[in-house]
Amino acid sequence: MTDPARTLGEEVGGLDAAADRRAPLASVQDLRIQFRTKAGRVHAVDGVSFDIRDGEALGLVGETGCGKTVTARSFLRLVPSPPGIYAGGRVQFRPRKRCEVCGGAGCGACGGAGRVPTACPRCRGTGCSECNLSGEETVDLLRVPERRLREIRGNRIAMIFQDPGKALNPALPVKQQIAEVLHVHRSEELLRRAGIDSDAGVLMPLLRRMAEQRSRRAERVLLGLPPGRRHSRRLGAAVAEWVAESLAETRIANPRKVMNSFPHELSGGMKQRVMIAQALACDPDLLIADEPTTALDVTIQARILELIRELQDRHRSSVLYISHDLALVNQVSDRVAVMYAGRIVESGPSQAVFRDPRHPYTRGLLAAIPTATDERGRLMAIEGTVPELVDPQPACRFHARCPYAAPACRTIDPPLRAHRDDRPVACFLYESAEEVGADRSSMPTWAGRR
Amino acid sequence: MLDAARPRVGGHRVRAAAVRLRRFASVGGEVLRNPTTLAGVTIIVAMVGMALLAPVLTEPNVPDPYQMPRDWGALNEPPGTPDHLLGTTQHGGDVLYGIIWGSRTSLRLSLIVVSVTVAIGVIVGSLAGFLGGRVDEVLMRIVDVFLSIPELIFALAIAAVLGPSFGNIILALAAVFWVKYARIIRGQVIHVKQNDYVDAARVIGDSRLNIFVKDVLPNSITPVAVQATLDMGNVVLIGAALSFIGLAEAGLAEWGVLVSQGQAGISAGRWWASTFPGLMVFLWALAFNLVGDGLRDVLDPRTERR
Amino acid sequence: MKTVPARAARPIPVKNRNLVTVRNLRRYFPIREGALQRVVGHVRAVDGVSFDVRRGETVGVVGESGCGKTTLGRCINGLLPPTDGGVYFDLGDDEHARLDALTAMPSEARTREQAAELERLDRTHRVDRLRGEAWRSYRRNCQVVFQDAFSSLNPRQLVKDIVGRPLKVYREASGSELMERVVGLLESVGLGRQHLYRYPHQFSGGQRQRISIARALALDPDFIVLDEPTSALDVSVQAQILNLLNDLQRERGLTYLFISHDLGVVRHMSDRIVVMYVGEIVEAGTRDDVFNSPLHPYTEALLEASPELAHDTDRRAGALEGRVPDPARPPQGCRFHTRCPVVTPSCGFEVDDAVRMLEGRGAGLDHLRGVQRRSAFEADLSFDDEEFAGLMVRVLEGPETPAEMREAMIGLTRSGSTVAIRFRDIDRVRLEEIRPAHVTSCILHTGQGLDPGDRHMREKNGG
Repeated sequence: MTDPARTLGEEVGGLDAAADRRAPLASVQDLRIQFRTKAGRVHAVDGVSFDIRDGEALGLVGETGCGKTVTARSFLRLVPSPPGIYAGGRVQFRPRKRCEVCGGAGCGACGGAGRVPTACPRCRGTGCSECNLSGEETVDLLRVPERRLREIRGNRIAMIFQDPGKALNPALPVKQQIAEVLHVHRSEELLRRAGIDSDAGVLMPLLRRMAEQRSRRAERVLLGLPPGRRHSRRLGAAVAEWVAESLAETRIANPRKVMNSFPHELSGGMKQRVMIAQALACDPDLLIADEPTTALDVTIQARILELIRELQDRHRSSVLYISHDLALVNQVSDRVAVMYAGRIVESGPSQAVFRDPRHPYTRGLLAAIPTATDERGRLMAIEGTVPELVDPQPACRFHARCPYAAPACRTIDPPLRAHRDDRPVACFLYESAEEVGADRSSMPTWAGRR
Repeated sequence: MLDAARPRVGGHRVRAAAVRLRRFASVGGEVLRNPTTLAGVTIIVAMVGMALLAPVLTEPNVPDPYQMPRDWGALNEPPGTPDHLLGTTQHGGDVLYGIIWGSRTSLRLSLIVVSVTVAIGVIVGSLAGFLGGRVDEVLMRIVDVFLSIPELIFALAIAAVLGPSFGNIILALAAVFWVKYARIIRGQVIHVKQNDYVDAARVIGDSRLNIFVKDVLPNSITPVAVQATLDMGNVVLIGAALSFIGLAEAGLAEWGVLVSQGQAGISAGRWWASTFPGLMVFLWALAFNLVGDGLRDVLDPRTERR
Repeated sequence: MKTVPARAARPIPVKNRNLVTVRNLRRYFPIREGALQRVVGHVRAVDGVSFDVRRGETVGVVGESGCGKTTLGRCINGLLPPTDGGVYFDLGDDEHARLDALTAMPSEARTREQAAELERLDRTHRVDRLRGEAWRSYRRNCQVVFQDAFSSLNPRQLVKDIVGRPLKVYREASGSELMERVVGLLESVGLGRQHLYRYPHQFSGGQRQRISIARALALDPDFIVLDEPTSALDVSVQAQILNLLNDLQRERGLTYLFISHDLGVVRHMSDRIVVMYVGEIVEAGTRDDVFNSPLHPYTEALLEASPELAHDTDRRAGALEGRVPDPARPPQGCRFHTRCPVVTPSCGFEVDDAVRMLEGRGAGLDHLRGVQRRSAFEADLSFDDEEFAGLMVRVLEGPETPAEMREAMIGLTRSGSTVAIRFRDIDRVRLEEIRPAHVTSCILHTGQGLDPGDRHMREKNGG
């Protein structure tokens, strides 16, 4: 499968050029995150770079402790610090807005993406150093002030967590939890939807504060009395309407009933739907889904995956999928990046990576899944365990478990480089001795399997 | 480690002990890294040292060293007087002597009360938690009754009924403090009991007693250790309060008694007779609370400070 | 693996074919409520389960969370006493046949001799009735490996004490002999002498699971219950553990009960499969039968929902709607009928289904005053006023209601603001052998309660 933005562009007829010229929605550059521990600094993420394009679903796959969750959390600066340290790199994010020509449906003006870039506030779109000459507003999520970050969190970038039971507040009804993001990020639109404009007169500031959920008790009392009551009721109805709408989008039966229930009254699958409704309420550009189905049963999992995919298509958002399950990611994402011990070892279109894995780790990971043809007890296990990432020396992180490891693998960091057909892989098996600058005899070969 | 020759039986024991000791030491090291905890430990070491060296630091009073000596020739001497560094009381008792031997009294009091209450509390709480059902019901209702009475008032009532003596203060405090441990350990036991390793031990076929001793108790005990440390301080605080209101024998070398007897002189400007012992009570309670909190942070980082 | 290579070390006495025999096993957990903790109902975690585990084979138990598979495992390894029925260990072949004959007849039909015979079988083989030496022997021969390797090892014990503990309990060894046995066990699971003096937290998840396995092997058991042994592990480590389990089975002639929600893993490990749903077995058979030609629609849905099984094709059609029913109030008839894509009117539609359906439509259920049940299939629904009652009747008769449900409804009358609703009475479904050694409870195959000329039967079997 190819990039849907691109395919869509082609459908509209040679318009993909516009989308192509555009800088990616987000680009992670040489991200380094470390954790201070008793034993030393753990390099949890160690030089990770990737792009997320408009409208694509990118899968980030790897096993426990490979740094995939930490990478995803760094988008919203949610890595606990201390002990976490943002030791280097950038997470650049380019906020979009809905295309005004087509209203988000995809047209010539937006290159079929339904969303258009916002102009760089410094150079007004002509291109400056801040936006890498792209003319698009570019935010470095690791350095942006907390206030600006809060505007982005839940609004332009939303996140779904692995355990919906823990991510929802057990003491609040579902409605309030979804309404909260609307109050924080969409107060203007709430007022508009409620049909409240300047005719409210002197009450306007109070209503605005109410829409932002910042009213004090006295203000709420005042708005509960006749002149303001009409407006505040309309506002309440607008919130309820919007919440019900976003719940209905996740195909919850009877959303009006569900939104008044508490999380513990809902099943795991329902809770995850509520999480999704909350995440998509503000129509974010990027949805980060951190193992969204790991806590669910298989039959429910299939439904949730389908739902995310469908909503992604409708909202034309990009999705960053975090998962340990390559087979699952293959179903839901366009491209995939495989992580091991804090680094990306391979990336490419997911079908291609799944069908023809290049890196020995990816190969091992796929071979380890029991299939119908595997003889019992003869699974291709990857022997050994994940290395300790405390102050690592330059070396391929996988060398101790790799069946092909050679001297070069133990002393030089293999770079993530595309060799054939645009598929980057970080492995010396695909490099020549000259490229690496190492002795020929120290290079690994396919024949050198241990 | 493969090169280690096969140790004899004794060798295995020694090695296991060494591993356990190292683990204990590493926890200890972590506790001491916190500066406030370190301060608490320092104070405790100083006070306990003082208690142990009491006969060396001052000439013990005969026949009973725990009674204040009376120097009738030096009543109400201010601090700095020769032979009476911290002054004397209205009865001619040396304040420094009271503080030094009072630390022995406090140490004795808190050690006895805490060890007795921990023992009772752990037995009751673990019986309730481990056996569950009826036993649990009955024991916990008894605990509830004890808990429903404020501890100071309860201790006061007991001491009042039994008459004023230091031994009765110990008894009164013990009657109050065990309840807390029973509560804590019961909750822990119920929680720990659900771990798979308890089921694993049952599947092996080990006896209930063994399972309790090896699997349940060791994993339930840490909050008790923390609480016991805190109570080492609290016991002295409440004990001093009981002595202060006159439930200990007059003339006892005990901080609470000294504070109580010295307070009459405060209005007359004789601040030292009650201030120095009062300061000791404060330091003692503070030190154990600092260490207790430090222990809690290390042993169980999840619990928030109450 | 059909034949088990004989263990060289131990002389093998005559061995019985069936190692574990589960008959009509029920395990209910009381639900208590209120200050007096009155029992207000029961969670039927396991509700009438029967199957055999033969010596040397691996039986896989699959199902979603809450289907009762873990409770089943705990009953089998003696951690939970059954509410009814039982687990028999190591029955002789004759005894096995007798047990089947005796349990097949209703208890009041047994003669005194037959009752005494059953009592004797219970006393000598039923796990929860074993005492003394028989219990000790069962205890040694039936071990368990839990899912969560973090909670199954005592964090305050050294590895040598954890693995050596079973040997100490049975006074099999002590001193340096004990230590050598422990080292041998560790080596057999891929660990070694260097790990003796470490605490569990110093190991990775896979290594901890190896320690668990070593402990289970210490007493040289015949049978091990593996309760999701690899669910908490990464795929690459999972493969190591699965290979290890298989090697150990071959070397030691072990019999496994392999409980898992992961179909790929169960298929890889098992000779025979048992599929559970809400406390019942819905299908059981050999691995190839169940995976290649599943009979029950639930099994089909499970297979289709697993990404690792469906990765070649893009079939995603079978994802199920709805939620797993509450095991405290399991559905009537076939318990899967609330979510089944090929449901028929004879599958057990009941009042709860109608209520749930109305709820899902959001159709004025706020105006439902109360439900007066005469049975699971018959009830009066009273509404606020006649208008809503009429509306409900129209919904229940209209196209919004599935055709199967409408057909199962044999009475729907309104009088005032009350709607009387009645469905066909349906018995609980029974397992029946459809092909040799392949059983299912789906009525499309068993034909139970189904008219031979039933429209749905024809459609679905023809399709």
